[in-house]
Formats: sequence, structure tokens, C-alpha cells
Amino acid sequence: MRSLRNIYAVMRREMRRIWAYKPYFMLLTVLPIVSFLFFTAIFESGIPHNLPIAVLDEDHSVLSRKLTDMIDAAPEAEVRYEITDIDEGERLMREGKVHAIVQIPSFFEKNILSNTPAHVEGYISGDNVLTNGLISKDLLTTVTTFGTGVQLQIMMKQGLTEKQAMAQAMPVRFDKHVLFNPYTNYGYYLSPSFMPMMIMIFVVLATVFAIGSELRYSTAREWIEAAEGSLFRAMTGKLLPVFMSMTLMALLMFFLLFDVINVPLNGSFTMLFVGCVVFIVSYMGISIFIIGLTADMRLAMSLGGGYSVMAFSLSGLTFPVMAMFKGIQLFSYIFPFTYFTDMIVDQALRGAPAAYSIPDLCCMAAFQILPLLVLPRLRRIALDSSYWGKM
Amino acid sequence: MSKITHTVKSHWRQLNIVMRNEYAHIFRDAGVILIMVFAPLIYATIYSLTYGSQVLRNVPIGVVDMSKTDTSRKLIEAIGMGPNTVIAYELDDMIEAERKFYERDIYGIIYIPDNYEKMLLGGQMATVSICLDASYMLMYRQAFQEMVAGINTTGAMVEFQRLIARGAEIPQAKAITQPVIYQGHSLFNPYLGYGTFVMPPIIMLIIQQTLLIGIGMIGGTWREQGLYGKLKPKGSKRLSTLPIVTGKALVYASIYAVSSFYLLNVHYRLFHYPMNGNAATIAVFLAMYLFACIFMGIAVSTLFRRRETSLMLMLWSSIPLFLLSGASYPAEAMPRWMVQLASIFPSTHGAPGFVRIQTMGASLAEVLPEIRALGRLIVIYLGLSCIGIHFLVETDLADTIRDNWKKRIASRKTAARSAEDTPTN
Repeated sequence: MRSLRNIYAVMRREMRRIWAYKPYFMLLTVLPIVSFLFFTAIFESGIPHNLPIAVLDEDHSVLSRKLTDMIDAAPEAEVRYEITDIDEGERLMREGKVHAIVQIPSFFEKNILSNTPAHVEGYISGDNVLTNGLISKDLLTTVTTFGTGVQLQIMMKQGLTEKQAMAQAMPVRFDKHVLFNPYTNYGYYLSPSFMPMMIMIFVVLATVFAIGSELRYSTAREWIEAAEGSLFRAMTGKLLPVFMSMTLMALLMFFLLFDVINVPLNGSFTMLFVGCVVFIVSYMGISIFIIGLTADMRLAMSLGGGYSVMAFSLSGLTFPVMAMFKGIQLFSYIFPFTYFTDMIVDQALRGAPAAYSIPDLCCMAAFQILPLLVLPRLRRIALDSSYWGKM
Repeated sequence: MSKITHTVKSHWRQLNIVMRNEYAHIFRDAGVILIMVFAPLIYATIYSLTYGSQVLRNVPIGVVDMSKTDTSRKLIEAIGMGPNTVIAYELDDMIEAERKFYERDIYGIIYIPDNYEKMLLGGQMATVSICLDASYMLMYRQAFQEMVAGINTTGAMVEFQRLIARGAEIPQAKAITQPVIYQGHSLFNPYLGYGTFVMPPIIMLIIQQTLLIGIGMIGGTWREQGLYGKLKPKGSKRLSTLPIVTGKALVYASIYAVSSFYLLNVHYRLFHYPMNGNAATIAVFLAMYLFACIFMGIAVSTLFRRRETSLMLMLWSSIPLFLLSGASYPAEAMPRWMVQLASIFPSTHGAPGFVRIQTMGASLAEVLPEIRALGRLIVIYLGLSCIGIHFLVETDLADTIRDNWKKRIASRKTAARSAEDTPTN
């Protein structure tokens, strides 16, 4: 009973502090919402389309015209410029106006009509791997379709029926099933991990500030005394408001993800929510660890901030862990974020059975060892005024 | 005349004071050194190492071969031939394949039906199913490319053999099988290295973010310690705005000139990023970018009362700003209003402009729109910095007066109290 009263007292004190110190208040309320809305809006379309390209048509024939139109009609590329020489195309590329140049050489039509292979060249800028991938896929598909059309006509002229000609032209056909993210939508793929990334940053900063500011503004003793000397209760009462606000933010995030952006939710929401709570708590633990070690709020914030910003690249979501150097791969396991993105992929996109997420959950929970390690030191720091007042 | 020389002299003296103070604050403060000196180097190195291998190869995929014939074997071999995928498992059925999928042992499945060989030999069309996982886009692309290439090669081979069997000549058969040959070339980044793609804009963004946060920290320090008042030269009432703004800007520019030089010469060479830019072009562009970031930093820093505030309020923006720069996620895919909003950040112009100069070898004329935009930002943020700093100098003056009054009142009270206390004791 007394412990509950102590926790409540510290919590009330913390609420007043949150209200008094505006940036702290912003961290827990306004900024998460702003960042969520940002990610909701930026992936609105989810699929980049109509990426501008240039076509260099040296043949000026009916067939080259037809191919140009087909390329223009393809979903991701749009023929914005028709150029007369390759230098012009390169200039447009350096000016950032086109992502690719397609060259249809002279004698294109003549070659096709005389049964000689005709060539089409695509020069795609490699400065952006993402647009490069989209455009090269588009061009390859379009030219292949065009070629198949030509083939069919040739064969039908030779007296084959359309069906025969089709079987002849494409003896092996494939039907493609894109599992889990069938629209290959970048929003579905990126926003479920960018938003938790934001939660993580705000959890780390808020936790470090919550504890660190007691040291910086020399109020640590008052804080511990509010819990009648129990560090555990003092910590619980202090971090409860942070935890509650972040859990609410997580709910808002899930709402935006699954109901506004319409990310598929194929697995268990309960699992995902439990995972998110453990994720929040694990980053709180890491923050306690950092502030306990450094006993300096600003240093702890810089370190904690750096640590959290780095998590995205190392999570393997965009650049897979298996492709990283062996030594770097190990680093990807020191971020709870890595396990949580695995959970999101499993539970939201893939709809994997809940059991597959339990190992990830355990790994995140294991980070709770860290704060336990520094608690004794933290008690000493909190009561020793020589650690206070560090700007 | 003498008044002008006096002002110039006074400004010059103040500039010296501000610059000396600024260097001292940066290098005496572990938090600021960490952000402004070490963070650019540490981040750049860690990110570059993360993307160090550049390309994703050998994505494991699984095969469910219901046909189990020579023909299907050939198809599997054709798919396994490319560098991007490796046939990791041959599975008995789709249920097993699904399990392997969930266990993250494979990232794609090829299903060959049992009638595969029969259809092909009978001159019909055989259908192969491919299942891919688009929850990891890069894996998806690598696996998809290789599967399609394998299937197309196999198809072309079958078609060619059939034509020959029907008595066609080899060149004719070739032309019919592939009437149009598409050849794709990737410019500037021939192996489509991920680091080569993503690091140049990341470096630009690191420069901007560390500048904004670092300047904010120092700005908070000025405010907290009342430096606007303390630093005023003897004999004058207060600091002038212009020396503060230029002094600060020069100090940050000098520090970042060194880090940028390191990043663009040593770091770039270490990780073999493309260096196609002309040195003078890069220098001009980078200088404009740095000053745009610095003046934005100074302008924003005037809002912060405490040194930790900038970190708390700005750290989160790194990833949104990276996306907004359009260097990774194309601006064509963003809502129009967002693209317009993004243009208030230097990185939106700096990152793509720099990539075009350094990766593609663009000239200053070819990045003119970006240069213009940066120039506009410099003017706007310089103006805002001056206004902000001017107000802070005034506020500080007011603060000091108020503090003095408070002190005086407090001392009077204590004096009165001690006067009351004495008799009772």
C-alpha cells in the first residue's frame, strides 16, 4: 500500500515536471503525432510512378513510335523528353530531369521486318538504386512484351493460330505471386518500421531526460525522497507517465498504420501490441543504463540519440543483414529495433503463426538486464550531490 | 567618417571575442564535440561499413519440383546460375516451403507443376509459379530478377530448339526467338551498389543535422549562461548583432570545412565512392550548403532556452528529412505540398545537387536551380538569424536588469530580516 502511495506521489511530481518543461512535454505528445502524420502523408501513394525518362528515337518509324508509346504507358516510367542526341540526354540526367535514356537505334524497324535481331539500349542512372530498379523492370517488361508481339505476328503470318503462336513464343510462362505485400507498396513496407523508429527515439530521449534532468537541475534527492528512499518506486513512478504516453502513441501508430495507410494486418494484433510494449520497455531499460553509466544528461542524450538513429540501417530492413560484412552483422543484434521489425514483418505483413515471434520477444525482453546492472550506481549518483548540476 | 571607423573597429573586436568564445565553448564541451566533431565521422564510418558489401548476393530460395524430370532440372539450374540467388532447399510441397519461409530460411519459392515436361514436349505452354516476398524489397528484387531471367532463358532455349526441329535456319530461329534485344546499362553506379547510392545523400544530411543540433546546443548555452551580456566589450552597452552572427557562422564553417574535407577526400576514397565532380564545383556548392545549414541553425537556435532542447526537438527529424530530400525516395512519389514544404530545408536542395555533382559529374550550370534555392535560403536564414539574435540581445539586457532588481530586492529583504532577527538572538 505504501509502495503504491509512493509511486503515485512520484508520478504526480513527474506530471508537474512534464507540464513545466515544454520540450519534455513536446517529446511525449506533439512530436510523435507530427512524425506519425508525416509518415502517413509521405507514403500516400506508396508506389513511385511516372518517373521521367527520355527517349532517343533514331529510327523514326511506326514500330519505334509504338515502342515509345508502350514505354510511356508502362506504370513507372513516363516519356517526358524526346531527344535528338545522347549528349542532350546525359545533360538532362545531370540536371536531374530524367532518370533514364532509352535509345532506339536506326534500322530498328527494318531489322525487325527482315528477321534480324533489333536492339534497344537503356541507360539508367545508378545514383538511385530504387528508381533504377523500378525503371529497369519497366523497360525490360515493356521491350519483352513488344518483342513477343512481334514474334506472334511473324508466326501468325507463317500460318499458326494465335494459341499455337503463343505457345511457341512463350513455351515457359510464369505466374507471379507476390506474397505478403502484393502491391509491392513502399508505404506498406517502410512505414511500419519508420513509425516505431520514431517511438524509439522519443522513448530514449524522454527517459534520459526524465532521469537526467534530476541530476542536471540538482533535484535528484527530492525525487528519491518523494518515494521515501526507494529507488525502484521512484523509478517506476517517474517512468510510468512516459510509458503510458508512449503506449498511447503506439496505439495511435497502429491505428494509422492499419486503418489509414491500410498496411495489411495478417497476423496477431495482440502479439504485435505485446511486442510493442516490450519494445518500449526495452528502450527505457537501455536509456536507464546509459544515464546510469554516464551520470551526465547531455552526454547520455547524445549517446542515446546516436544509438537510436543508427538502429534503422542496421535492422536489415532496407539493406538485409545477410548482405552485410560478418563483423557488422553482429552489431545488428544489439538493437531491440531489429527484433521488433522482424516481428512487424512476421505479424503484420506475413501473417506468420504467433509462435514465430516469441524468440524476438524474448530477445527484446533480455535487454532488461542492462538497467538492473546500473541500479546500484544510479542510487549512489542520485544521492551524491557531486554528480549533480553537470550542464 | 570617424563614426564609421569606430563602428568597424568595435565590430571587429566583438567578432574576435565571439569567435574565441565560440571555439572555447565547442571544444570545452564533451556533448558538443561529440555532436559537431565526432558524430559526422562516426556516423559516416558506421553507415559506410553497414553498406560496405554494397550488393546483396545469394538470396536463398526454395524449389518445389513436382515434375522431377530432366526438363525441370534444367530450369532449376538456369535459375540457380545467376549470382543473386542460390537454390538453398529442394522441398517436397508448398506446406514445407511455407514453413521455410516463416523461418526465414528462404525468400522465394519456385513451383514447377507435375505436367511441366509433358506440356513442353507436347508443344504447349507450361506454367511455372513463382512466389516472392515483398516484405523486404531488396530481396524481392534480386530473387525476382534471377527467377525471371532463368525462366526466360529456358523458354527461349525451348523455342529455339522447336524452331530448329521444324527445319528453320539458326540465324532465322535466333531472330524469331528474340526479335528485340534489350540491353540495360546502369550509369555512374554500374553494380548498383547500395552504399554508393545511399551514402552521398546521407553524408549531406549528417552535415546538416549535426550542424543544426550542435548550433542549437551552443545557442542554448549562450542563453543559459547569459553570454550575450557577459561578452559585451568594455565600455559598450551591448553586443551588436552582426558580429555575433558572422562570428558564429565563421567558426562553424571552419570546423565543417575540415570535416567535409576529410569526408570527401579520405572517407570517399576509403569506401570507393564515385568522385566525378570537379573540385571547384564541389567547393562552391558545399560552401553554399554549409552556410545555408549554419544560418538555419543560428536562426533556429535562438528559440532554445536550454542546451539540451535542440537535441530533444530535432534529433527525430533526421529520417523524415532524409526522405524529404528526395535522394532516396523519389520526390515524384510524394504529395505535392510536401515537396514544397521540404524546400525550406537546405538538405532538400543540397543532397540531390551534391549527388549530381559528385556522382554524375554535373557542372555548376547544371545544378543552377539548387544553387539558386540555397542562395535564397542563405538570405532568408541570415535575416532570421539577425532578427533572432537581435531580440535575444535585447531580452538579455532586459533579463539582466530584471535580475539586478530581483537581487536588490532580495538583498534588502534579507537585510531587513537579519535586522529583525538580531534583537531576538
